[in-house]
Parts: sequence; C-alpha cells; structure tokens
Amino acid sequence: MDNVYALYKCRVLRTYELTDDVRLFLFRFENPEIAESWTFVPGQFVQLSIAGMGEVPISICSSPMRRGFFELCIKKAGRVTSKIFELKPGDIVGVRGPYGNGFPVDKFEGNDLLLIAAGIGMAPLRSVFTYALDNRWKFGNITVINSARFGKKLLFKKELEAMRDVAEAENIRIIQTVTRDPDWPGWVGRAQEHIRHANTKPEKSYVCVCGPPQIYTDVFNKLIEHGYDPRKIYVTLERRMKCGVGKCGHCIAGSSTFLKYICIDGPVFGYYDIISTPGLI
Amino acid sequence: MRYVKLTEEKLYDFLEKLKEYGKLYAPVKISDKFYDRKEIENVEDIAFEYVRTIMPAKKFFVPPKEKMFDIDIENGEYKENVENVEPFVLFGMHACEIVALRILDAIYMDEFADIYYASRRKAGIIIGLSCLPDEHCFCNLRRTDFVDIGFDLFLHELPDGYLIRVGSPKGHKIVDENPSLFTQVTQKDIDAFREFEEKRQKMFRCYGSFDNIRYLLELTMNDEFWDEEADKCLGCGNCTMTCPTCRCYDVQDIPSIDGKEAIRIRFWDSCQFRSHGLVAGGHNFRPTKKDRFLNRYVCKNSYFYPLGTSYCVGCGNCTYFCPAGIDFLGNLLKVRSVGEAEVKNG
Amino acid sequence: MRDKMKLKIGVHGLTSCYGCQLKMASIKELLEVVERFDIEYWYMASSKGEIKHVDVAFVEGSVSTAEDEKELKKIRENADILVAIGSCAIHGGVQGMLIGEEYKEIFEEIYGKYEMDFEGRIGEPIKNYVDVDYFLPGCPPEEEEVVYYLACFALGSYPEEKDYPVCSECRRNGYPCILIEKGEMCLGPLTVAGCNARCPSHNVACIGCRGPLPYNIAWFDSLAKTFKEKGFSKEDVRKRMEIFGKQYEKMDEMIEKVFEDEGGETDQE
Repeated sequence: MDNVYALYKCRVLRTYELTDDVRLFLFRFENPEIAESWTFVPGQFVQLSIAGMGEVPISICSSPMRRGFFELCIKKAGRVTSKIFELKPGDIVGVRGPYGNGFPVDKFEGNDLLLIAAGIGMAPLRSVFTYALDNRWKFGNITVINSARFGKKLLFKKELEAMRDVAEAENIRIIQTVTRDPDWPGWVGRAQEHIRHANTKPEKSYVCVCGPPQIYTDVFNKLIEHGYDPRKIYVTLERRMKCGVGKCGHCIAGSSTFLKYICIDGPVFGYYDIISTPGLI
Repeated sequence: MRYVKLTEEKLYDFLEKLKEYGKLYAPVKISDKFYDRKEIENVEDIAFEYVRTIMPAKKFFVPPKEKMFDIDIENGEYKENVENVEPFVLFGMHACEIVALRILDAIYMDEFADIYYASRRKAGIIIGLSCLPDEHCFCNLRRTDFVDIGFDLFLHELPDGYLIRVGSPKGHKIVDENPSLFTQVTQKDIDAFREFEEKRQKMFRCYGSFDNIRYLLELTMNDEFWDEEADKCLGCGNCTMTCPTCRCYDVQDIPSIDGKEAIRIRFWDSCQFRSHGLVAGGHNFRPTKKDRFLNRYVCKNSYFYPLGTSYCVGCGNCTYFCPAGIDFLGNLLKVRSVGEAEVKNG
Repeated sequence: MRDKMKLKIGVHGLTSCYGCQLKMASIKELLEVVERFDIEYWYMASSKGEIKHVDVAFVEGSVSTAEDEKELKKIRENADILVAIGSCAIHGGVQGMLIGEEYKEIFEEIYGKYEMDFEGRIGEPIKNYVDVDYFLPGCPPEEEEVVYYLACFALGSYPEEKDYPVCSECRRNGYPCILIEKGEMCLGPLTVAGCNARCPSHNVACIGCRGPLPYNIAWFDSLAKTFKEKGFSKEDVRKRMEIFGKQYEKMDEMIEKVFEDEGGETDQE
C-alpha cells in the first residue's frame, strides 16, 4: 500500500514577486514519470512541505495544461509560509496531492465565465482563468474581476493588465478594482459593484468566487440581482488542514445536517451548499 | 451466523489461548474509578465488569502520538516510519466500541487509505463482550447497542459462561483450532441470552427516537441554555480525547538540535482547543469557547453516510470523563424537547 | 544552501531561582548546543559577563529590582529575538504572588530593618517592561522544549507555542483524571501543556507551575465553579490558583463572579 502522506520532490524554478507579501513560485517535479502523469483540476490544492518545518495546503494557481510544472502563490502569513517565502530557484520542497474536488470546469464548457476575486482569492481563480485561456474555444465570454484594497495588493496585476487590450478583442474583460487607494488610476469599488460591467450573459454564465469569507453574502446578492443562476455559482473555501485527505479533522465544517470536509468534499462548494450551512463561511 | 458456547470453567483457558493469536489487551482497573486496556500478563487481572475505559480503543489504531516520517532536512528526504505490527487481540470490546472502530475504518481506509492505520487494523483481532449500560450510556438511541459485523468473536454473558457469535474468518479459525474450549449452544443458553438482552434493553436512561436530533440541534443552536452549558466548559478537551470516534490530529515537525534531521509526528488534537480552527493570517473559524463547545455537538450528531449512523455511538465517555460534569445526553434530551416546542410554536 | 553561520545566543537570569538556566545547562544535547551556537553570555556557565548583541536572548526570572529592569532593557536592546523562559519571566512566578499591602508586610518580615543596597519591587513578568517575542513556559521548562526552541531558531524559524491545557497530555497518556476521581483541585485544565502531565502521572494534582493558558482561554471561572461544586471555598480556590496565576489580570474577577452569590459568607472567615 502506498503512503498517502509520502511526498514528491519538486524543485523551485522561478520566483516572482506579486506584492510585498505574496510571491509566485514555479515548480517542477524532479521525477520525470511523475512530471509526465501528474495533473489536476483548477481549484484543487497541494500540500507543500518544508523539511523540518511542516506542511501547508496551497491552491494551485496555474493551468493544468502545462504538464510537469505548476505554480503556487504564497502569502507570507504563518510559520511555514514565511519559510516558503524565502525559497530560491533550485531549492527542493516536498509536494503531495492534488487534493479536493476542484471547479467543475467540464460543466462550464459552452458557457460564459465570470470570475470574482478579492485579495488572495485571485490565486485559485487564476488557475480557472488560465485553463479557460488554454481552451479558449470551449468557453463564451469571460470576465475577471480582480479586487484588493490597494493597487499594490492586486495579485497578478501586471499579468492581467498586460493582456487587457488584446483580451477585449477576444471577448475577455478584465476589471481590476481597488477599494481604498486614491492613487489607483483604474476602477474603484468592491468587486460586486462591477458585476454590472461584466461582458458575461447572466442566463448562460457560470460564476466562481473566491475571497475572504465576509464578501460572499454581498457578492451572492448582487449576482442574483443581476439575474445570475444561483445553481451556477461556485465558491472555494479555505481552512486549516493537516492531512488534505479527510483524516485529521481540522477542516470539518458545517452544521449537524450538512457536515463536510473542506479537503475532500470541497474546497469548491455550490451556492446552495453555502446558504444551507451556517458554519461553512 | 455460527454460535458456540464457552463455559465458565473454560473462560481463563480461552483467554490464555487468545495470547497465542497475538498480544492480549483487555480492560483492567487502573484506579478507583477508571479502567483502561492494558497488555495482559495474568488473565485473572481482566476486569469484566468495566463499562468504559479512559482511553478508547482508538489508541491501538491511531496512537496518541506517532512518528510518521524521519526527515533528512539537508537533502529534503522523507523516510516513512511504518511499523511492522505484530498481531494483537483486543478483548472485551463493547458493541459501541466496535461500531466506533468501523467508523474509523471507513474514515481511514475507504478513500486515501492511511497506511499507518491500516497496518495496525490488519493485525488486530476484535473480541466483543456484552455489557450492561450505566446512566450515561445511550447506545440504544444511536442504534449501536448491538453489532452484526466488525468483530471476530462476540461473547454474550450467560449465567454459566458465554454464548459466542463468530463474526469473521479469524473468529472461525480460533473456534476451529480449539474444539476442546467450546460446546454446543443449548435451548437453555438461548433462553438465557434472550433474558439478558431483555434485561439490558430495560436498563437504559432514555428511550424513543433520536433520528431527528441533528435537525433539532440545528434549529436550537441559538437557545440560551447553550450559553450556560458552554460557560461550564473548561476547554480541556477530555471529551474528545476519550471519544471513541474523535480522531482529529495535529502534525508537527520536530527538528533535531544539529538542524540536520527532524521527525514529523502526529498527535491527538481537539476541536475544543483554540488553535484547531485557526488559519494562517490569524482568522479563527471557531473564535469563542461557545463556538468550540457547539462544534462537538454538531460534529458528533451529524450523519456518517458510510455507516448510516451518527459519528456519536452513544458510549457516554464524554459525560463520564468531563471534569465539569457536562451531560452530553442531558443536553441532547433538552434539545429534543425544547426543539419540539419550538417547531410547534414556529 | 542553509546558512552555516552560528546563531549567537545569550542566557540571562533576573530575580529567580536560576532553575531554568540550570535546566538549560543540564540538557543532554548541551555539547551540541555549544557546537552549534555561539554562547555570548551565560553567567551560570561561564565567567564572561558583558551583554553583547545576540540573535536570541533567553531571559529567566521576574523583574524585582531596579537593577533587573535596567539589565532587562539592555538585553532587549541587544537581542533580535527575546524569549521569556520559565514561569517567573512569563507570569511573575511564585514571587509574583505577593502584590499590594501584603508585599510590604512580607518584605519587612524577611529583610527587617537591615539596610539593603537595592529597593525591592513586586516581581513582575518581563513583558510588562519590554516586548517579548516568544514564551517558553515551565518551572523549569522541559528539556525537549528547550531543544525544540533552540532547533527552530537555528533553522531560521520560530517555535509553535502550545495553547492547549495539560489535560490533553494527561488524556493522551491515559492517566486517571485526578479532578474527577479524587475531587482535588487539579489545575490541569488551566495550565499550558508541555510537561507531558508530569504531576498527574505521579497521581499528584497539577499545581499550575507552567502558568495559565494564554489568549483568554484560561477559564478560571469555569474551573472555579467546578471546584466550588466539589465543596471548596472561595479562599481555597483563590489560594490554589494564585500560586502561579496571581498576576493574570482577570483571575480575581473570574473567581469573584463564581462565588458572588455567597461572597458574604466566605469573606467573614
């Protein structure tokens, strides 16, 4: 029997500063066979291990179309992430996964796609976005709303900005908005205030939302007000996880009638799961 | 099912024989009020009258603390530490404990099988033992008071011995290899077994349906009495540590002083502790004592689909081992009546 | 690869029994510590006596004199990381039990009319004077925790501090619960874990030597209520809890609340 907690060795290939406390890391599997066969669904996560420090769950933020490589977006927040933050190209880490259900991207095909991110929430949605770009013909119009408090805190700001004009021609709309930055030249206001600017047709759109727990209610209300179908709204949640495989119990959330493991039943949940389960967000 | 009888005179021979199938663990009295399962040298030390052990049987499969990996920090190598587990026999498992083990089996082995758990589970022989409930037991409400599967042998007390149900190939093997220990079950034994079961069924604290409890619990979460109950709570985690199905664990890397090596250990954690719901960045999903207190009620009463039961098996350990005397069943009974009143009014 | 530079450490003692330093000096891995770290200051272990810049300074003892305060501030200025080690440094310790009028009486009783070259103060935790980065509890701390803290710093990281009670370790070890069985005032539920339930393992109730839990998760009130139900008076409970918890700002209030309905009776004793 294989050990589900065993780790694959991965090498850091490149690091890239996204904001003052968030960095993007590109990894490659050391074992060519694993590199060849390892794949994932956007929205899934991996357990990243630093020897002697511990493990943390991190959402994958790249497209699964690029075999053997994957990108992780690390926010310097805790003991282990601070250590990951210091990694240099060439360093080795341990990785296991992918875990979780991921977004039902197959269902999304043939529809418009609205991605709403706040803060670090852009990380898992970038995986959906890049996946959609790699499979552009499968999707209709696409809008990405990327929001943060300040311009300098917007994740993937440059990457999204660089493709804005070209994207418009391909029916991809990019809205980068900030709430508390008077110097920001672009859009201002919360993510949900820009739903009306999306190029997606509410009746044939799937929506993915990710951000801090307190934004969900407002975003949901706005989406429904604009006519988006609640059955087609998905969010991805975060919890403390130690195992990632439904054993350690840390990510158990929900109520006595709907108890879920975020790691194996989630992290992606539908709108109706969220509203019928008080403990989930 | 195959039935055999073990007469009173052969009991200790039987227990002695069990040692040949593996290291024998059985309940012994460890202090005035408490029992625990220990390795048995002298079979006469075994306590048959025990109701509950301070450490649930999970300790044999998910140890309180175990090393998962030896880590070579400099080279980023992880060497798994999976022991070769020698066979062992758990004697005196009550029905609720056997259901609890099946819950753990489903969690640990159905999906993403855990090799550490599985290697121990394979080595374990489970010998059940009938019991009489005390005032904290409510397995009848949880429908875990009688088990059909999950044991190798199950001993039902008779006035002059035990009626044994044989529940697995390992169980058959033990019976087949020791014909001199067992006799045929007679009509008298069947009558005695029936009498015992009837007597037992009349001894529970409470009767009725508990199937709606998870809905009533959800509907009464804001009742004031929860504040009072949570106020009593010491946050010590005794309830979860002594729960036969609570198996939350935490993982930690312990580096050596020279910085070259580390070990990765896992150890029992509890949702009653503050750090359990904490995520990086400082947000806590269960910031208050009441959140944590209620979390256990929510988790234990929720539905465990693979077995069609709740996570709680009604053993009463959490009440018996609560230093603050918080009555788990009592609170659920309050929910059952308060909840009904609320539903009516609403 | 990893930085091979040795970490500079200092070990300092303010007013205390020096037990924590002794513990540090007697760990099995001491030789490796000497090899792996540059010990810049350790009064107990060497004769060097000048406070220099260090990466990590460990400070035991409470601030009980003006000298202590001066020394502590100098240590802080010269340390990147400051670790309070032991109950005196973290909570004021046993000497921190005496506050207010009581302190003056006892001080006079002990030192009488002798002229002292220092002015005595109430023993206070060092966090009242300087910023403390990490806390290493114990009276004294456990060997494995000392090693763990040192090893974490050496890796360029920091230790995970425990915020759960001694009960957790008592249950993991399967010791009989003294509070339930004997009805004694065991402070296990209040006290920060790490000792592997040392006293309960010898069938002795926890006295709380590692100090109360942090972050407002030390439930003096709930435990006082439990003790009260077992028949203890307010004074019994207070005396027990204040040995190591006296300077916990909410302790009095929390105990008071539990006994308020019969406060009049116990006050008259």
